[in-house]
Amino acid sequence: MRKVNQDRVPVRIKGMGDGLCVTLDPAQPLSHLQEELAIRFSQMKNLAVNARVIFDIGEKDGYEDLIEELGKFLRKTFGVGSVSRFLRDGPVSEEIIRKRDMENSWYHYQSDVLMLTGRVRSGQKVTARKHLLIMGDVNPGAEVLAGGDILIMGSLRGTAVAGQPDNDGMIVLALDFQPTQVQIGGFVAAGLPPSSKKLPEFAHVENGTIVVEDYLKADPFGRLPWPQVR
Amino acid sequence: MDGRIIVITSGKGGVGKTTATASIGAALALQRKRVAVIDMDIGLRNLDVVMGLENRIIFNVVDAVKGKCKLKQAAIKDRRIDDLFLIPASQSDNKNVLSPKDMVQFGEKLRREFDFVLMDCPAGIERGFENSVAAADEAVVVCTPEVSSVRDADRVIGLLYARSITPKLVVNRIIPEMVEKGDMLSHVDMVDVLSIELVGLVPMDDHVLISTNTGIPLVLQKKSKAGEAFQRIAMRINGATDLPIEVPQSQDRFWKKIGSKLGLGK
Repeated sequence: MRKVNQDRVPVRIKGMGDGLCVTLDPAQPLSHLQEELAIRFSQMKNLAVNARVIFDIGEKDGYEDLIEELGKFLRKTFGVGSVSRFLRDGPVSEEIIRKRDMENSWYHYQSDVLMLTGRVRSGQKVTARKHLLIMGDVNPGAEVLAGGDILIMGSLRGTAVAGQPDNDGMIVLALDFQPTQVQIGGFVAAGLPPSSKKLPEFAHVENGTIVVEDYLKADPFGRLPWPQVR
Repeated sequence: MDGRIIVITSGKGGVGKTTATASIGAALALQRKRVAVIDMDIGLRNLDVVMGLENRIIFNVVDAVKGKCKLKQAAIKDRRIDDLFLIPASQSDNKNVLSPKDMVQFGEKLRREFDFVLMDCPAGIERGFENSVAAADEAVVVCTPEVSSVRDADRVIGLLYARSITPKLVVNRIIPEMVEKGDMLSHVDMVDVLSIELVGLVPMDDHVLISTNTGIPLVLQKKSKAGEAFQRIAMRINGATDLPIEVPQSQDRFWKKIGSKLGLGK
């Protein structure tokens, strides 16, 4: 078999959501591209049947004929479902974002939140890549770490480390806020004054220190006019 | 016979595991059950002293597990209570001579011989704990109303859950006067944090020290409040789950209560 440079491979396939993204170089001749596609699609066997195929030809415009031709070829030989062209995100206008957000079109949004129920006990350590939501209590001696926000729907008495490694914009929220220690990004707050108010409170970074406030009073996100992905 | 093996543990040392083991064991034996109490604190044995049986030790738990003697030879019969047996720890070995695997096998033998087997777990969560927990079906976590004890108990509860054992809680050394003044954690707060089933509340009692020094079981001392509490715990473990949990109360609170019943005071 001919050895090819990885950068110059004319056809590459990767899974994208529930479809297949086919990256190809449209400058190559049609027959060559078909050959390459045939090799790769025949390896996938049944996976290709009824699959949604998206062609990505880079930043270039035109080539509609080429895509149509290749689409026809794939449909005929491998029985793929739909064939379409990958659209680059241009500068998406504010209006479109707003429209999307207002129309509740979150249905296809996939979340990075780790959501757990139950009690985190002393000696246990929960680490989340992004946001962490625990419906339960965090006991003294337990540690909860997250790359994003930490929300505790219960009492927080252990250590909470949010915004790892260096995101200062994150918050730590608990319905009963009595942590041993809170860290947000690079800031550490130890020896927080004990508040047994049993109010939902949250910690955030303000002017280089961690500040704890009554969540309902401060309402940090109440001023955002429409829902946004965090 | 298909006995139940219950490990008595706490994480922290000095919270009353040994006293609880001896007392609950004695109380269960008084309810006509065949009970073995096993000292798993190898190298630091003391359950024999608490039970007043130190001068009768010939074989110990290591011998029994390793097959150097028969189970019946290692089990020392109590002086006062007929159905109570002690398997003492070895004082000269260390905890590494036993492995959790050995203990699972030994547990099978114990289950055939006894109705209840109580394991007195050493403090800590290392080998001694692993050995004690390996064979156990159930666990009782002893905790005192101190923050440090609660923290360690919480850790142990997590480890027990990881071995799919659902532990039960005994709160030991409650001083009702201090709880009323707010100087001591109340059992409600502790159950709040630990969130496991409570099987008993044991008040602070001078009789415990007397019992430990003389080797007379706490549950045989008539006026001991702690003894009564351990008796109720034993009944609950033995199936009387609907027995209400009595909250230790201070003397003056008692008089106040009577006073208020008679319409005196506020």
